[in-house]
Amino acid sequence: MTNQQKITDSPIDFAEQIIEDVKNSKEDGVLKCVQCGMCTSTCPAARHSDYNPREIIERVLDGDISIIEDDNIWNCFYCYTCHSVCPVGNSVCEVNQILKQFAVSNEIGYDKLYEYLGFADSYFTAAIGAIPEIFFTDIDRDVPGWWEFRQHLDEIRSELELDPPLMPPEDVIDEVSTILTITGFKDKIDKIRATQEEEK
Amino acid sequence: MRDDLKVGVFLCECGGNISDIVDLDRVRDELDVEFIGQFENLCSLNGRKIIRDAIFDHDLDRVVVAACSPISHEKTFQDYVKPLNPYLMDMANIREQCSWVHDDKGKATSKAITLINASIEKVKQSDAVDPIYCQTPDEVAVIGGGIAGMNAALSLAKQGNKVTLIEQSPSIGGHMAKIGKVFSPVKIAEECGMCLLNPILNELVWNDNIEVMTNTKVIEAERRAGTYNLIMEKSPRYVDAEKCIACGKCAEACEVEVPNDWNDNLSMRKAIYRPFGQSYPEAYVIDMDNCSRCSECVKVCTMKAIRLRGRPERIPLQVGSIVVATGHKLFDMEKRPEYGYTRYDDVITQSELGRITGVNGPTKGKLLKSNGEVPKRVVMIQCVGSRDEKPDGHRYCSKICCTVALKNANIIKHKYPDTDVLICYTDVRTPGMFEKYYKHTQENEVRFLRGRPGEVVKKGDNFIVRTEDTLKGEFVEIEADMVVLSTAMEPSEGTREIAGILNVGVTEDGFIKESHPKIKPVATDVQGIFVCGTAHEPKDITDSIMQATAAASKVGEYNYGGVEIEPFIAEIDTERCTVCGECIERCKYKSMSIQNDEIYIDPMSCTGCGKCLVGCKQRAITVNGNIDEKIMATINGALSKKQAGERMILVFLDNIGYTAADNIGVNRLKYPESIHIIKVISVNRVRPRHIKYALDNGADGVFIGEFPGDLMYDEVERKIKRAKNRLEELGENPERITFSKVYIPYFSGLARKFQEFDAKIAELDGK
Amino acid sequence: MKQVPDKDILLFRSCLVSVEYPGVEASTKYVFDKLGVDYAISEKQTCCTGLGHYSDVFDQVDTSAIGARNFRIAKDIGRPNLVMMCATCYAINKKSVKLLNRKDELREHINQLFDENGLGHLKYEKDDLKPTENIFHVVDILYAKKDEIRKHIKYDLSEYTIATHHGCHYCKVHYEDTIGGVRDPNVMDELIGECGCRTIGWYDHKRATCGTGFRQRYSNPELSFTATADKMNAIADEDVDILVHLCPNCHIQFDRYQHLIGEREGRKFRAIHLNIAQFIALAMGGDLDNVIGAKAHTVPIDSVIKDLKEVKNEG
Repeated sequence: MTNQQKITDSPIDFAEQIIEDVKNSKEDGVLKCVQCGMCTSTCPAARHSDYNPREIIERVLDGDISIIEDDNIWNCFYCYTCHSVCPVGNSVCEVNQILKQFAVSNEIGYDKLYEYLGFADSYFTAAIGAIPEIFFTDIDRDVPGWWEFRQHLDEIRSELELDPPLMPPEDVIDEVSTILTITGFKDKIDKIRATQEEEK
Repeated sequence: MRDDLKVGVFLCECGGNISDIVDLDRVRDELDVEFIGQFENLCSLNGRKIIRDAIFDHDLDRVVVAACSPISHEKTFQDYVKPLNPYLMDMANIREQCSWVHDDKGKATSKAITLINASIEKVKQSDAVDPIYCQTPDEVAVIGGGIAGMNAALSLAKQGNKVTLIEQSPSIGGHMAKIGKVFSPVKIAEECGMCLLNPILNELVWNDNIEVMTNTKVIEAERRAGTYNLIMEKSPRYVDAEKCIACGKCAEACEVEVPNDWNDNLSMRKAIYRPFGQSYPEAYVIDMDNCSRCSECVKVCTMKAIRLRGRPERIPLQVGSIVVATGHKLFDMEKRPEYGYTRYDDVITQSELGRITGVNGPTKGKLLKSNGEVPKRVVMIQCVGSRDEKPDGHRYCSKICCTVALKNANIIKHKYPDTDVLICYTDVRTPGMFEKYYKHTQENEVRFLRGRPGEVVKKGDNFIVRTEDTLKGEFVEIEADMVVLSTAMEPSEGTREIAGILNVGVTEDGFIKESHPKIKPVATDVQGIFVCGTAHEPKDITDSIMQATAAASKVGEYNYGGVEIEPFIAEIDTERCTVCGECIERCKYKSMSIQNDEIYIDPMSCTGCGKCLVGCKQRAITVNGNIDEKIMATINGALSKKQAGERMILVFLDNIGYTAADNIGVNRLKYPESIHIIKVISVNRVRPRHIKYALDNGADGVFIGEFPGDLMYDEVERKIKRAKNRLEELGENPERITFSKVYIPYFSGLARKFQEFDAKIAELDGK
Repeated sequence: MKQVPDKDILLFRSCLVSVEYPGVEASTKYVFDKLGVDYAISEKQTCCTGLGHYSDVFDQVDTSAIGARNFRIAKDIGRPNLVMMCATCYAINKKSVKLLNRKDELREHINQLFDENGLGHLKYEKDDLKPTENIFHVVDILYAKKDEIRKHIKYDLSEYTIATHHGCHYCKVHYEDTIGGVRDPNVMDELIGECGCRTIGWYDHKRATCGTGFRQRYSNPELSFTATADKMNAIADEDVDILVHLCPNCHIQFDRYQHLIGEREGRKFRAIHLNIAQFIALAMGGDLDNVIGAKAHTVPIDSVIKDLKEVKNEG
């Protein structure tokens, strides 16, 4: 099939949008990609799944916005190996994170985030990033003795003479809750939860 | 009256280089002179006509050319202002020191106006003087005895110049002697490298105009206008090359075995050795770091050529010009440990493969793994250390690695058609005729995979090369039993050292920088010093030889044409002079002497620094060219255009500092618009009263830079300290004056110092 | 090498260390005390958001705003040097400092939010902290003090086969600041050398991820455990007794899931997993229960370390 590029098309706009994202630390790196494949050569996800970091940049440079709907982008380990070896100073790992945030702001991938909302909730209740309880059953199944250990955590901590306690003071929790409210984080989380629970 | 002089200003757009940033319409509006012209490319021959016509039509007395740096084109425009005297023209540098270092168009335009106005005021103080011509000595030093240095030396010698070829190692020949086979793209065949090198080597050895100094380094250099005084250090060979007949009995007797560096450490040699079969001088040498001093070699030497004692010898050499041919080294593979070079014997470099396939190499030309077997599959990895901006890598392409890989792949395929050869590449770069050789290689069943491998690991007896095949879009693990890395070329240690010793400019990658990448590809930024071969940038043998012969030809031009010296030097009024000799004592450049009962000033070495003026009780010395007045006028011209709220820093630099400042622009680094650079003949000519005047009349800061190698450096430093003290006594802030070291290669440091000084001044002003 | 401080340190508490391997915190304190490092812990400091950030729940503004608050706390108590026990905390905080310094719009946006909501005291001014001069991992501090480690070694662990797993978020994210190499990371190998032991050095997949991959472990366990198996197999091929870590996330992946991955691979994996601070603390004589926190480990430490042999006094 012919892919027609009209004189008015500007495929590079998509890449520019990524470059301007606050998270991008590589300036124009994405535009310098020569498709050498070193990212894919070192990528654990490429080794074991259909994820291909080089192809992500190829599609970004083609202006293929549909990539944010591609399930494969959720396979990145965020191990930053590509970021640490890219010969032209690009970072697919960062580009991937930016693409996912684009997806989320386009209401894509809410299902992927739903299980992880526990990370958000624990900030409002304890100002800490605890493993979401939703996964406890899996962990208990996969890790012999883990549940037992967690029941005795306080004793182990006191044996190690660790202080201050796990739970920060109330005013700290309030302050953190406020911050995560004013950045718009809370609204986003509420929206994701509502949308997902409605679908179910 | 000087104020009534008619000045013409010529603005150069430099094909957008200037006019894209500097608003030349505004410049024209804001200058008040007799005539203003503007042209797209003023340095072109059309520019000559425009300038000359305007001089006639408007009866101009003085000319200011606002264009690039005087270092690029002062000579051009001195010629274009004929019939005016060349010194009645001044250049305002609005490219390297304005449009190339600033982004803000408004501020850059204001600065351009200031710089041009400073030149207008300066040129009004200029007088017509004639340049002085000097002849440089014909002797030439060629530093580095590889293929580039050898060809430069030979060409120079054949043109009648006396050449000293200086080589650090015990033999000339360089990398080419090691390379095994070479190929030419047209012939589509590989041929013996040594067979091509040997005739050149022989011709060189027999040429009476060439003296070859091996085991020798240049350790000091001093420049006096047209003459270089070099100090060489010759390390002892411990074998008298005149007596030695290279019979080899000594090596047989020697019991110390060490890795043979000429074979890339793939074989062993003795502590007394001859680097390779055709090495020159045709004599053995002792590697004293490894010698056990057992004296067995001394006992067996029938020629009595060996002496175990010896000390480095320092030898002076005076030459008129220098050719730098100090070459490259290969990328250190410890910087890319993932390819396993340091862990596995059969992961090798292309250079080592060249030794292995060379008939005079460790396996006598047989392609063998460390276990003695012929490899079944050789995987080559391209761009190791090249085209790689990660720490310790190089952003540039090393240019020869693609063709070297093709050559070595073909050599393997010719001898071992059953061995599979796979080249992993990002791009195969085979411009021009080399493309035909690439096609030939494909026909020769060498395989190509487009992808940059991530790592090489050992699994059982074989290696696994992990890479993406980017054309298929799939991750692959390729089994191989030999891996060859195409390593980057980088400047050799010798290249880095000699750049420092000669104070020639280098690129950000450490290669010797040419004075202009397009039109002056063999000259350096120091007059009389030329560069060729891989000391300049990665290149192949053909290009090295072309550049070497070009350098030889440029030396010829230089020797024939002599050196034009700016006439701004000291002059003695013999009527007043009592020949007291005070000036001889004071002159740091040793340019004063007594000849025929009069003080004689050598125009080649006098810099016009003016130190002698201060000591002369008879006031019998003048320095030509109204220098004090010109500095004052330049300051005035700059400050008179200062706008309210504008920060104005005046920077005084001599030729070296100015070149460093130009390099900032050439490399497109940035510094604040407040920085205004004034070029002076010698920093010593900037007097306390100039500084005081500048600060009293609107300058917010004064920055003085000096090259620490300049003989006047200490003097200037003391002088600036005194000036700061005086300022403090007057109740002003001495931090408004700063003194700084400048080096041509370290232009980025100068840019940073500008930035810091600007920030400090801003802080003093509470901004 | 970068300048590494040994005082005015805020030892940054990690959510995973606190609830999974509290012995890492106790061991770090134990070793810091021995080496004379001046540090404190603050109850006001909160999590870096790393787990949520890399699960794509938190965006950069959220993370950097939380970061700005923690940076303010560090400055207010006169401890501007943040030292992390977790590689992800290190990467997250260093990136936030970089962005807050470099990206004026982000900084001004966060400061404005603070101002408008009565949190003006948390405002971050440009260059309040410097990414290279103020943000460290525990290994950086230990490395700077490595010449002193040897003096405090009590037990000889040199007979064990030791390998290192360097966390990606220490080595690869801010590679310009990484000590001891990125492509063949060696900072822990060098530290272990100071304890009188030699590691096996390079092994296949040495620089590869532990396989956690944040969301991969829970949502994509097949992918996650296959990647971990690559590494676990390579380590077992080298017959490793002790794998040394610098990140609690990797630590969980190896220690908690070793049994499960062994079943999947049909192979018995036997290495124990210690954080570098635990390893050094153990060599310095730290008690398994009161310092190392052995009870939190899934693969029992005493399955490999059965008795401890004192170092022969060379003096």
